[in-house]
Amino acid sequence: MNAVHRASQVATVSAAPILRTQKLTVRFDEFPAVREVDLSIADGELRVIIGANGAGKSTLLDLLCGKTLPSEGEIWLRDRNITGIGEAAIARSGVGRKFQTPTVFKDMTVLENLQVASNRRVRVFQNLFDRVKPGPSDKEIAVAERTGLLGSMKRRASELSHGQLQWLELAMVLSQDPKIILLDEPAAGMTAAETDKTAELLLDLAGGHTVLVIEHDMAFVRRICRTITVMHQGAVLAEGTAEEIEHNPAVIEAYLGSATLSHA
Amino acid sequence: MTYRTASIIAYVVFFAVVLALPLVLNSFWTNRVAIYLVYSICAIGISMSWGYAGILSLGQGLFFGMGAYMLAMSLTLAVPENNPVPQLMLLNMEPNAVRDLCCVTTGSFLWIPFRSIAVGMIAGIVVPCILAAGIGYVMFKRRTTGVYVSIITLAFALIGQMLIVNNQPLTGGFNGLADLALLEIAGFEFDPYGPSAYYAVAFTLIAVILLARYMLTGRIGQVLKAIREDEARARYLGYDVENYKLFIFCVSAGVAGLAGMLFTLTSEFATPSLMATSLSISMVIWAATGGRASLLGACIGALIVNFVGSLASESATFQPVWPIILGLLFVFVVLFMPNGIAGIFKAFIERSGNAGKAEGFAETKLSAREV
Repeated sequence: MNAVHRASQVATVSAAPILRTQKLTVRFDEFPAVREVDLSIADGELRVIIGANGAGKSTLLDLLCGKTLPSEGEIWLRDRNITGIGEAAIARSGVGRKFQTPTVFKDMTVLENLQVASNRRVRVFQNLFDRVKPGPSDKEIAVAERTGLLGSMKRRASELSHGQLQWLELAMVLSQDPKIILLDEPAAGMTAAETDKTAELLLDLAGGHTVLVIEHDMAFVRRICRTITVMHQGAVLAEGTAEEIEHNPAVIEAYLGSATLSHA
Repeated sequence: MTYRTASIIAYVVFFAVVLALPLVLNSFWTNRVAIYLVYSICAIGISMSWGYAGILSLGQGLFFGMGAYMLAMSLTLAVPENNPVPQLMLLNMEPNAVRDLCCVTTGSFLWIPFRSIAVGMIAGIVVPCILAAGIGYVMFKRRTTGVYVSIITLAFALIGQMLIVNNQPLTGGFNGLADLALLEIAGFEFDPYGPSAYYAVAFTLIAVILLARYMLTGRIGQVLKAIREDEARARYLGYDVENYKLFIFCVSAGVAGLAGMLFTLTSEFATPSLMATSLSISMVIWAATGGRASLLGACIGALIVNFVGSLASESATFQPVWPIILGLLFVFVVLFMPNGIAGIFKAFIERSGNAGKAEGFAETKLSAREV
């Protein structure tokens, strides 16, 4: 308890939070997968959530993007309560979600994927007689360049490598102009070289975007991280810098026997 | 030649052939081909919802039948003997009922607006759309997908068929509506066996293809394709997936209703069998054979399957086994040519295009080695 208290002091950075949760809870068949999570992410922050399998990390992201409805608690994006307004509306209000296994439109080209993502006029009748520009827009070129996909614009997504698929999904999320980006293990299944590139990409994003990342790999976390939130059994166990977290007795106790944290 | 150029040529050739056919056909075949073109319009409806948005409706016959009945009701009332009350109602009315359309049989007042041909024609599109909107709203808001959509639509078509068969005093029951007047608009009469009805169908078909193509090659087509590929991803990009599905499902139903009206125009009857499962499934087979993701492909699929089917029906050997052949054709298409005839056409064009490119590539490679 003491640890949580200290950590929350660390987290109160100067800027007003862009994303805030209040006692966010979800129960599956009475089992609380996420318990009373109070999260506060500052504008422009790069936050990493770590925790063992089943700690509720992915469920937390599912709650934030509307995939799962909370049993209790609220989610605020700036001064708007986005709890339970539906996935599409949450996405429109500025939450971008990248999944662990890349979900993209496989039978469409990279450019088409980006076009669907960057089109911000999302209503049926706004699109009814709207034409699609044959070539990429400046914005689409910029986002493709940033994610290293510029050379693959005309390729079908189904022809891309696993790493490229991850970047394509990230590029799509970026094209949405989200206020906050939720990333679920962005380096999962990547080669060492691809992981390096992803780390660089995230650090590059951190200035202009607010990013919330779930990660397993402590080495990766140390490279990208400012503030870490540790989840354990659905609740926030601790919050702080990598240094603080690694020396936090509660964290050490929770992870006792697991080498993930101390020796990774 | 690029695929785009090739497909534009294919469309132009198809339109030209469709428009020229009555010049060489006798009246029997003019009528037959007109009916096949009506089926082509149905196949376009299937292609729009199934091919582009991944919604496989097995109840398209419901909308087709509704369209057919709406116009057939107007054309029934246009026959002088059916005034003020259609014969079919007189045969089924209670002995002391008032001989007026308001109350001669239960629900007969529903026929009153159909005294106007214009109402019948508008209802032929609008009623299927409204029906689809209701069914679609319930299905899509509850996020029903895949095979469940097929089953629900199939069930609704069966309900529709049953309601019509069981309400003989109102609908003509199992026999449907026959002995219709010819459609007459502003003094011009459409002859089902002449070029007039044929061209009504042909121009409608062309208009439907062009409009559908314009729409589906635009932004909304791209979004629908995205939804077909990954519904969840589209949702997390901010698209209200349900509204898009509802929209294309209604448009597809409207197209089927339009085809149904043209069926009444060319066949001069409407029966509950139009809502039978077999016809709905046949429509899917036509679209699959031609290529579900290609509007022109679906059209041509409907023409070919129906033409071969009618040849088979004239042969004593093939007639009884035709449904089996049709079933096997569907299995074959699904397993071996998922993109149908249009897919083969595309592969052929791309291969001949690539052959040219490959040669050029080989040359540059060679010169590079020389250097």
